[in-house]
Amino acid sequence: MLLKKLIKKSMPYSKLSTINTKIIIHMNDVWASYDAKNYSLKGITLSIERGTNYAIVGKSGSGKSTLLKLINGMMNPSKGQIKVDYQTPNMNKKQFRKKMSKIGYIPQSLGLVKNISVLENVLIGALPRIGRLNSLLKNFPKYEIEEAKKIIKLVGLKGKENRKTYTLSGGEKRRVAIARALMQKPVLLLADEIVSELDQVTAKEIMDLIADAQKRLNLTAVMVHHDMKLALEYANRVAVIKEGQKILEIGIDGEKIIDFQSGNISQQEIMELYNNESEK
Amino acid sequence: MNPKNNLIIALVIAGIIVMSYNIDANPVEFVDGLPNLAIVVKEMTDVEPDLFVTAFWSMLETIEMAFIGTVVGVVIALPLSLLAARNLNNKLIYVPLRGILAAARTFPSILWAILFVIMVGLGPFAGVLAIIMYTIGFIAKLQYESIEAVDSDPVDAVNSIGVSKWQLIRHVVIPESAPHLISQILYMFDYNVRQTSILGLVGAGGIGFYIINYIKFFEYGKAAVFMLVVLITVLIIDFVSVKIRDKYIVKAQKGMKVEV
Ligand SMILES: Nc1ncnc2c1ncn2[C@@H]1O[C@H](COP(=O)(O)OP(=O)(O)O)[C@@H](O)[C@H]1O
Ligand SMILES: [Mg+2]
Repeated sequence: MLLKKLIKKSMPYSKLSTINTKIIIHMNDVWASYDAKNYSLKGITLSIERGTNYAIVGKSGSGKSTLLKLINGMMNPSKGQIKVDYQTPNMNKKQFRKKMSKIGYIPQSLGLVKNISVLENVLIGALPRIGRLNSLLKNFPKYEIEEAKKIIKLVGLKGKENRKTYTLSGGEKRRVAIARALMQKPVLLLADEIVSELDQVTAKEIMDLIADAQKRLNLTAVMVHHDMKLALEYANRVAVIKEGQKILEIGIDGEKIIDFQSGNISQQEIMELYNNESEK
Repeated sequence: MNPKNNLIIALVIAGIIVMSYNIDANPVEFVDGLPNLAIVVKEMTDVEPDLFVTAFWSMLETIEMAFIGTVVGVVIALPLSLLAARNLNNKLIYVPLRGILAAARTFPSILWAILFVIMVGLGPFAGVLAIIMYTIGFIAKLQYESIEAVDSDPVDAVNSIGVSKWQLIRHVVIPESAPHLISQILYMFDYNVRQTSILGLVGAGGIGFYIINYIKFFEYGKAAVFMLVVLITVLIIDFVSVKIRDKYIVKAQKGMKVEV
């Protein structure tokens, strides 16, 4: 135990062995591109432990969303290895699709079905558990409907179960997307800037909601943020991405912030470093 | 206005004059013919009231034919549209299917009606079959186009939950493309009532049968009565479908809550 702590302190976390059962996501020198010419990610190496709230911060276009798509198998790397819960992500592989049913992915655009109700959207999270005929008939078992209603209440949308989704506010839509992800009974939650456009109060409510669900379900969350402050407040670990590269990774333990390259660092220093870096 | 535009306008006007001469279209004849209309209107006032009852029942038959044709056509068109959508299937399925659907709607329904009269004989059944064919070709096209235009965000997001293709279609693609369907069906019914009104010309049932017969025997007043009934019916259907569309679709687009 002591040895492990020492190792953690003395070397970048990402260098730890992939066989570590605590690690749910491991990336090793991952490169990714949308076209032949430009790489959106250039040699990302990182490891994420189960139960962590892992924040990815960086300015727009730095490659944050691409990183999430790789973890979820919606995109394949051009170079390097990725393991998510011991498997190589690939949404076209049957075996990984099973795993995807346990990965709640909330894209920046949320991806809700506009013309159906809140309840129907949330029930979509249960589809991988529903048989072919019943899902064609939209015939969900009673306990799934009860579960969906419970989650809707949990995210603060009680009484709005039957509202059409397009009638909801931005904050409410995010709650629906979170509820759909929770309905998957996820082991991993990937959220792409879901609080970026919200006012501070609502953003905090939503972050608290996720923190709470994380504790209850022992969930690993990988959340992309625009705002370093929010990341520092909620995450155990923050990776800063710039132009497709990880330029900084810090661990947060209460008030203490550890920079894995230079040791302890203050919140103010981080903010300064981040602001300087992202302005360059 | 630049000189190029003026030239184009001049050419179009010159073209119309030349073509009118070619097809023997003479505006003077149109003006001279106007009093003939007055004669028809006078004849209309002379017909026995019984005729209106006949007109009403034959209009009802026309609407029934259009209704059955629209409903059955839509029911067949919907699954076909799923198969014809490029984003849901591979080329081997959608290319031939699109060809068949294009053929179904290139043929106007009156030509389909001739074909079905040959097949099943005179009467409304041939007309209904003709309406079904045209509706399939038309609605399937509108639907596969709206399926292809479905927002990719929810499709990608739900696909990443690891659902099956049919679950994705049932729970995302169909609900996302359905709002257009209501207005497409209303439009189709409206169109089919007008089409069915003339199918009688080839013996495929409906009110057109009476119209063509009265015209054959130069009873223009009686024919006009039936035409008037068609006109009023079409106006009523148009009015009602605009109301329905406003209630359900315009509100939905504005993001207001729709009460059912
Ligand atoms: N679908 C796409 N096609 C081509 N290039 C893309 C696509 N999505 C993102 N990119 C490019 O990849 C880079 C990283 O994008 P992204 O991961 O979305 O950044 P972020 O989420 O940090 O704003 C950007 O340069 C962007 O232009
Ligand atoms: Mg992004």
